[in-house]
Amino acid sequence: MKKSKLTSLVAVIMLILLAATGCSSGNSATPGAGTSDTSKPASGKLDKVTLQLKWLPQSQFMGYYVAQAKGYYKDQGIDLEIVPGGSDIIPEQQVYNGVANIGVTWVSSLMKYQSKGWGLVQVGQIFQKSAMLLVSKAATGINSPADLKGKKVSSWFGGNEYEIYALLAANGLNKDTDVKLVQQDYTMNQLLKNEVDAASAMTYNEYGLLLESGLKDSDLHVINMNDAGVAMLEDCLFVNSDWIAKNQDLYVRFLKASIKGWADACADPEAAGKVVYNVDQSVSLAHQVYMAKEVAKLVVPKGFDPAKIGYIDMAAIKQTGDLAYKYGLLTKPAVISENTVTSKYWTEATAK
Amino acid sequence: MKNKVINLLWPLAFGVAIILLWQFGIFHKLLDLKPFQLPVPSEIASTLAANLPKTLHDCGVTISGALIGLIIGSFMGFMIAAMATFFPKWGYGGMIVVTALNAVPIVALSPIMNLWFSTGMAQKIGVVTVVCMAAMAINAYSGLNNLKPHSIDLMYSVAANKWTIFKKLRVPNSLPYIFTASKINIASSIIAAIISEYFASSTSGLGFGIKDNLRKAEMAMGWSYIVVASLAGVILYCIILLVERDAIKWHASQK
Repeated sequence: MKKSKLTSLVAVIMLILLAATGCSSGNSATPGAGTSDTSKPASGKLDKVTLQLKWLPQSQFMGYYVAQAKGYYKDQGIDLEIVPGGSDIIPEQQVYNGVANIGVTWVSSLMKYQSKGWGLVQVGQIFQKSAMLLVSKAATGINSPADLKGKKVSSWFGGNEYEIYALLAANGLNKDTDVKLVQQDYTMNQLLKNEVDAASAMTYNEYGLLLESGLKDSDLHVINMNDAGVAMLEDCLFVNSDWIAKNQDLYVRFLKASIKGWADACADPEAAGKVVYNVDQSVSLAHQVYMAKEVAKLVVPKGFDPAKIGYIDMAAIKQTGDLAYKYGLLTKPAVISENTVTSKYWTEATAK
Repeated sequence: MKNKVINLLWPLAFGVAIILLWQFGIFHKLLDLKPFQLPVPSEIASTLAANLPKTLHDCGVTISGALIGLIIGSFMGFMIAAMATFFPKWGYGGMIVVTALNAVPIVALSPIMNLWFSTGMAQKIGVVTVVCMAAMAINAYSGLNNLKPHSIDLMYSVAANKWTIFKKLRVPNSLPYIFTASKINIASSIIAAIISEYFASSTSGLGFGIKDNLRKAEMAMGWSYIVVASLAGVILYCIILLVERDAIKWHASQK
């Protein structure tokens, strides 16, 4: 009796182990399959590349959609699959696990993963400015960051809260005692219904939602992180260190096509918004076009040479790292080296 | 006695073996994971120890929301069942509504409750209430109506009125069913509370802790919250078991 119990126990363990190894070998096989062939584009056979977005398909990522629609990736011998993100899809994890080859994420978030030992490297910077705003209704009377004292402030958290922490600290406010921080959902209802005094908003998305809900610019007070000197960089491109070691040429081709797409999109955001709307109708055409116009200002800010799209501004990277360390996202200073952020593919892709 | 010890030792040994396999990286090898993807038990334990006050505070927030919702939901569920028993003609409509509500996923319920309530705690209680209502209503209804053959005839023969039948026959008969519902609800109330915190406009609670830390690559911290959540669930379940053992000693399941 006892013996048979023991055997069945062993059998169960064996089964579990078998299932586990089966899964793991299945997982590791998928990324390999897509990247095994990195031969020249001319042969007619396209290289498969997967791009993981940080969020839903929207004009925030219009450059890739425009490049896709105009066939720029095909011209470079790439068959690109764009994978939408979501609130609990984490690009860093997707790219590390090989679900996607290239990812879009915020620089501060990437730095956090890098500091924990994830072998990821930043290989391009699409947004040159921070799009983060802290918005309040004019009637609330928040005219400067110092007025936030005693107010209820909302953030999306999950790493998106550090510009607000930096803003509060830079203005002598304690994030734990001087304000009440709450989690914000992906609408602006909490602010509209006066459940919070100030809410996070991206220039290109949530601020537009407020305007679409009938409020005017004059009804709203805005704290811009760039003006407050606490801007952290957002949308960047990154890859798995092991993947890039074998696919440098493929990535450079991807970057060339993407930069071309972004240049077109920023030159004509109206058309880019339409392209994105045709891919995904989750929000209205008007909102996609609004977003495209705002995103263009982040990718090619005033005085920025459009030929330099994707350029990695090391001073801004350093500021992002310093703020992330100072305000508690990172437990040790960010390591900024060739292994964590490199401009060499961008230099190659933009060389004449 | 000897048998009891052996019955206890086997599962214990199995649990320890799992933790050892985990600690010494066997799972990591099998699943091709790095320690920063799946932290080892010792790291989770030390992280938990270092952040114990905060974790326990968050646990308190979640559990109190879950329990309040559980009590309100169970009470409402029982009332619906009683209604359906007393007034079978129209009262059964409530049962149908509650069964339909039961089919609404928690992930859909939470954002809806966000629109109705302005604080995270109220939203959480709202979600848990709805989730707990159905299991209690359905089980209590069975308990109030699946009576022993002839028992109701006996009550009629002594000219007992509806209320006496309810008090003396139906309610005692429903107790085992109510405990079954409570055991279902204690687990689902904690799950509902945690999931609702994923969406709540607050920054406390186990659900927020799990979500926020796993997104921020603080895997060990996220796992500490997971450990606390499951411990809390097990402890509450044990409490219900003990109460049940005491309350329905007469029932076959307790002999």
